[in-house]
Amino acid sequence: MSARPRTTRRRPSAGRGVSVWLIALLVALVATIQIRSEAEVQRNLVGTDVSSLAFLIDDLHRANDSLDAEKADLAGRRAQLQSGQSGAADQVLKGEADRLRAIEGLVPVQGPGVVIEIDASGLTALDLQDALNNLAAGGAEAIDVNDHRVVMGVPVYQARDGVAVDGVTVPPPWTISVIGDPNRLGLVADLMAQQLRADRRVRKATYRVEADVVIRSVISAKPYVYAIPS
Amino acid sequence: MSPRHFASVTLVAVVALATGFVLAGQIKAQLLTPSNQLARYQALVRNVQELEATNAESRRQIAALRAQIDALESDAAARSAKTQALRDQVNDLRDHAGLVAMHGPGVEVDLRNGIPGPDTGAQAGYLVNFQDVQDVVNLLFAQGAEGIAVNDRRITPLTAFSGSAGEVVIDQGPPQSSPIKIVAVGDRNRMLAALDDPAALPGVRARQVQFQLHLTFQGSPDVSLPPYDSSLQITHVSPA
Repeated sequence: MSARPRTTRRRPSAGRGVSVWLIALLVALVATIQIRSEAEVQRNLVGTDVSSLAFLIDDLHRANDSLDAEKADLAGRRAQLQSGQSGAADQVLKGEADRLRAIEGLVPVQGPGVVIEIDASGLTALDLQDALNNLAAGGAEAIDVNDHRVVMGVPVYQARDGVAVDGVTVPPPWTISVIGDPNRLGLVADLMAQQLRADRRVRKATYRVEADVVIRSVISAKPYVYAIPS
Repeated sequence: MSPRHFASVTLVAVVALATGFVLAGQIKAQLLTPSNQLARYQALVRNVQELEATNAESRRQIAALRAQIDALESDAAARSAKTQALRDQVNDLRDHAGLVAMHGPGVEVDLRNGIPGPDTGAQAGYLVNFQDVQDVVNLLFAQGAEGIAVNDRRITPLTAFSGSAGEVVIDQGPPQSSPIKIVAVGDRNRMLAALDDPAALPGVRARQVQFQLHLTFQGSPDVSLPPYDSSLQITHVSPA
């Protein structure tokens, strides 16, 4: 008879104890998830680099603007061809030929841009390739290095006696003439000049923005040996 | 069960339920958006995705417009010998500008991310970056490549490479990341010999050792390159 009251007292107390432990466990679980998730979020944000994402958005906006301009230009050419006017096709084709010759470096060109002068010893073909790529990414439409026209596809490589452009060694100092948006190119040239001045190999790195840069050097058209246009 | 016992169990259950709701609210309100950083990040990602979709659609439209123009020019050329001669010139120029698909013997180069080193905070050297792609493309052109495409994006005379760690942006295209496939048409033996030269691509080769960055290549009797599908606008250049 004496055991019964003890049993009835224990049961509620055990139930409450289990409930309290369950709540404690739940709180601990959620707290752990909270802490680990916050750490995970922080790690993800650091890893993905939000500022890079912002730059990417800026680049994509600029790219899409360029694509819109190209679409408008192509739509204009299509309308001209569809007009059926006498000589319309010849006019479109001639305009296209002139534009492509300038793009491929086959004709002398002029326009606003920058002129960069670099005097250094020990700079390699990779340094020149980086500089040319930076300028191209900055909107360069025509480039000349020491009177040698350069477009993507012109070999710039390390020869025994220095850096060669299209088979000809171009010893420093390098004068890089660039035509394109002078504001964008000016910013790129400024950044390049600062970086170059911090390089021990570089004696001088200057640039000037000019309203009219003239590039007279041209590339000789090379027929394909292996490629078959399709 | 006594009424008192039932009441205490109910109270504990209600408290547990309330605690659960409060914690769920906490999870929803704070855990997923600590200081709104994640929400802001997701907004940026959505923005990038929308811009990339617009980009892809624009490039598709440009390809379609170029095809329509080509057909109209072909019709006009069929009616005039002078127009035909002009069209032949332009077609040759378009070939060299990368505006026309091409095929021929060549090489395929694969670049893949390596394994992060112990000090990954300093530099993401294990990631393929735009300079790696630029170096391979320059090497192939220096060895006689007549046309190159990177992940099916054709290289043109105005092509520029940019990007941040692990991302490669080519011209007006969306960012590309590992694996990167570079396909070149040209003298495959010469290009293979250059790729095989231990002195070539010093940056990539150093990271092959340090981070197991992958650089593999093979020759092929026939590889294909797609036409360029983006902008070739030059607005500041005029004939001298």
